[in-house]
Amino acid sequence: MPVVGAFCVTVHKDVCINAQMPGKCATCVEVCPYEVYAINGNGQMAVQNYNACVGCRICAEFCPVNAIRINPAESEYLSRYPWTFAQVEEIHHKALTGGYLLRGFGTMGPMPHFDQIVVVPSQLAAEPPKDKYREECEMEVVIGEDTCEKPIRLQYPVIFPAMSFGAVSREAKLALAIAAAKLGIAGNTGEGGVVEEEPYYSHGYIDKEETEKKWEPGGYLVVQWSTGRWGVSADFVRAGDAVEVKIGQGAKPGMGGHLLGAKVTEEIAAVRGIPVGSDALSPCRYYDVLSFEDLKKQVAFLRDVTNYEKPIWIKLGPSRPYDDVRLAAEAGVDAISLDGICGGTGASPDLVTQGAGIPTIACIPPAVRALKDLGLHRKVKLFALGGIRNGLDAVKALAMGADGVGFGTAAEIAMGCRACMACHKGNCPYGITSQKPELRARLDPEEAGQRVANFIKATVEEIKILTMLSGHSDIKDLSEEDLRAVDLNTAAITGLKLIGYERRMPWWENGHDN
Amino acid sequence: MSRVLDAKGKNLRAVSTQLKEMITADGKEVTVKNAAHLHGLCGGLKSGEITIKGNSGDYLGVLNDGALIRVTGNAGKYVADNMTRGAVLVDGDADYGAGQYCYGGTVVVKGSAGDFTATMNKGATVIIGQDVGNEVGTYMLAGDLVIVGNAGHNLGNYLIRGNIYVGGQWASLGHNIKEETLTEADVDKLQGYLAKYAIEADPRAFHKLAPLSAKPFYK
Repeated sequence: MPVVGAFCVTVHKDVCINAQMPGKCATCVEVCPYEVYAINGNGQMAVQNYNACVGCRICAEFCPVNAIRINPAESEYLSRYPWTFAQVEEIHHKALTGGYLLRGFGTMGPMPHFDQIVVVPSQLAAEPPKDKYREECEMEVVIGEDTCEKPIRLQYPVIFPAMSFGAVSREAKLALAIAAAKLGIAGNTGEGGVVEEEPYYSHGYIDKEETEKKWEPGGYLVVQWSTGRWGVSADFVRAGDAVEVKIGQGAKPGMGGHLLGAKVTEEIAAVRGIPVGSDALSPCRYYDVLSFEDLKKQVAFLRDVTNYEKPIWIKLGPSRPYDDVRLAAEAGVDAISLDGICGGTGASPDLVTQGAGIPTIACIPPAVRALKDLGLHRKVKLFALGGIRNGLDAVKALAMGADGVGFGTAAEIAMGCRACMACHKGNCPYGITSQKPELRARLDPEEAGQRVANFIKATVEEIKILTMLSGHSDIKDLSEEDLRAVDLNTAAITGLKLIGYERRMPWWENGHDN
Repeated sequence: MSRVLDAKGKNLRAVSTQLKEMITADGKEVTVKNAAHLHGLCGGLKSGEITIKGNSGDYLGVLNDGALIRVTGNAGKYVADNMTRGAVLVDGDADYGAGQYCYGGTVVVKGSAGDFTATMNKGATVIIGQDVGNEVGTYMLAGDLVIVGNAGHNLGNYLIRGNIYVGGQWASLGHNIKEETLTEADVDKLQGYLAKYAIEADPRAFHKLAPLSAKPFYK
C-alpha cells in the first residue's frame, strides 16, 4: 500500500546536471506532482520531502542524464512480518487522522493467480500443433448474435473494462476509444457519463456525423448503466453499441463508485450533475432494483429503449460466481463480465481492495459451470476481468471457459502508468488518472492510443501462439484439457488437472455440487 | 381526439413499437389502456402526450426525454425513473421510489408516494400531493422536492444540493440537512407549483429544508 516513506529517492550528484551547474536543469522539480524536489534561490535542486514520494518514477523517466533512482524502502519485510513497515505506517496514519486508508489501483500481494497454471502444448497424444506463422487462428467473438439486431463483432477476444470519466482523464478515455477503433474491439464508458468524442472515436471516425473514418477497422463502445447513474439519459443509453448493467466490480464488490472531490473539476461536475469538489459516492446497490424480478424488468426496458438493437451486458464483482452468473444469465443478458479481486479502481478503502472478493482464477470455473447448467455457455458470452496481464493469462482464462478477457489496468500501464497506486490523489504524473490540465497535457490521446493498440496486438499474437501450439485454430476450441495446475492449491480451487497426478482433484471428478 | 391503444395481452415490445408508430405517424396524443402488466412502458420517449388509463406497471416513463405521461389510476414502482425532460403526472398514488435518479422534468403524484421517493434527484421537480414514506430524498443532488403532506423517517438523508419543502410534519431528518426560513422567492415558487397542478395548500405553511454542506463525506 502507498504509505509515507515507502520509497528511497537517490540522486546521483556526479551525473546530475543541476548539481554540476545549478539553475541549468530542474526537470525533476517540474515533473513531480508531489513536490518531492525543491529548488532554492540559487537554483540548486534538493530532495526536500522523501516522504511524499509515491514511487511513480516520472522523475527518473524525464531525467535527461538518468541520475535518479527510486527504490522501495521496505527491505525488512521478512524479518518484521507481520509488523511490516507498511503496517506500522498504516497504524500511524489512522492514529493521527482517525481515518482509514483510501487508495487507487488494485490488489497487491500474494494471491492465487494465473501464474500457478501452465498451458499444455500438443505432441503425439492430441491434435498436432498448428503453424502460427502460416496458418490462421479464428479469434472473433460475437455478442448478441441471435438476440439483437445489431450484434457486436469483436475482432479479438478482448475488451477494455469500465473506467469512468472522472476516475481517468478525458485524454485517457479518448486513448482507449482510439485503441478500440484500431483493434476492432469494445471500450466502455464507465459510470461517469460519456466524453463527447468517445462514441464516434470508438467507431473510428473523427467527426460526429461519422463521415470521415480515420482508424480502421472501427470498434465499439459499451455504455454503463450503474448505481450512481451519472450523466445517464436516453441519449446516453443510445450512444453506445451495448449497455452494461453494473452490479459490482472486483476491487470493491459491494461498494459503489468512489470519486474523491479532488478530481471533481468543473467539467466532471457538469457531466455528473454535482457541485465542484464534492465527492461522488455512488450507491452500493440500485435504489431502483429491490428484487431479481426488478433486474429482469431493467434488462427488458433497456432493450426497449435501445430498440432491441443492442446487446445488454452485466458486470459482476467476485462474490458467489456460480449463483451470481446463473442469475445474471437468467435475467436475459447477452454477455457477462466477471471481475476478480485483482480488478482495478480509481479509489477504494485499502482493506476492501485487499481483502474483499475472490481471485479471478477461482471465479471462472463456477461461472462457466453455471452457464453450462443453463445450456447457455458460448451463447451468453463470459468475459474474465481482473489482473489479466498478458497473452498467457488471457489464454488460461479462455481455456477455463471464458469467451474473452478484459485489459483495464494493463491498458493504463500501456499508456505510461508506472503502478504507483495513488490514482485517488488526482495527481497522476502521466495524466491518466488526473483532472489537472497541466498533468493531462502530458498524455496525447493518439500516441497513448497507439501504445495501447500495440500492447493489445502483441498480446493477441501471444494468445495466437499459445492457442495454436495446443493444436487449435479457434480460441473457442481451447478447453480445460489444455491447462495444468502446478500446485495442489490451484488444482483444488480451479478443478484443473494437477501436473504429475494428471487427474483432477477427487471432489471435482465426482460431480461437483455447489 | 386521442387514439386508444389496448395493451391487453400484449408484451412490452409490441405495445412499445405500436405506441412509437402512433406518436410519430398521426399526432402525439395517445391513450393506452389495460397496461398495468407492462413494466418500463414509455421508456426513453422524446415526444408524445400519453394517457395511461387505469393503473400502470413499474418503471413507467423510465429515461423519459420529453414526453408528457399521465396516469389516471395509481403508478407502480419507480415511476419516471431517470427522467431527463418532460413530465409524468399520476392522479392516484405512486409505489416505492417515484422520481429516482432524475436529471430534469417534473413528476407530480396527486396522492401519496412510497419510500425512497426522489432518491438521487439531480434536477427534477418532484411534487407529492399527500404523504410520503421513509428515506425520501436520499442523496439528492439538485432540484426541488415538494411534499404537501407528512414525511416518514430519515427525510433528505445526505442532501447535497436542492431543497425539500414539507407541508406537514416529518418523523425524523437524515444527515447533512437543516431547516431554513421560507423566503418570498420560495413562497412564489411553491404558489406556482400548487396552482399549476391544482393542489390545495397554503404555500406559507411549508417548511424548507436545505443541505448543511455540499461536501459531507470526507473532510
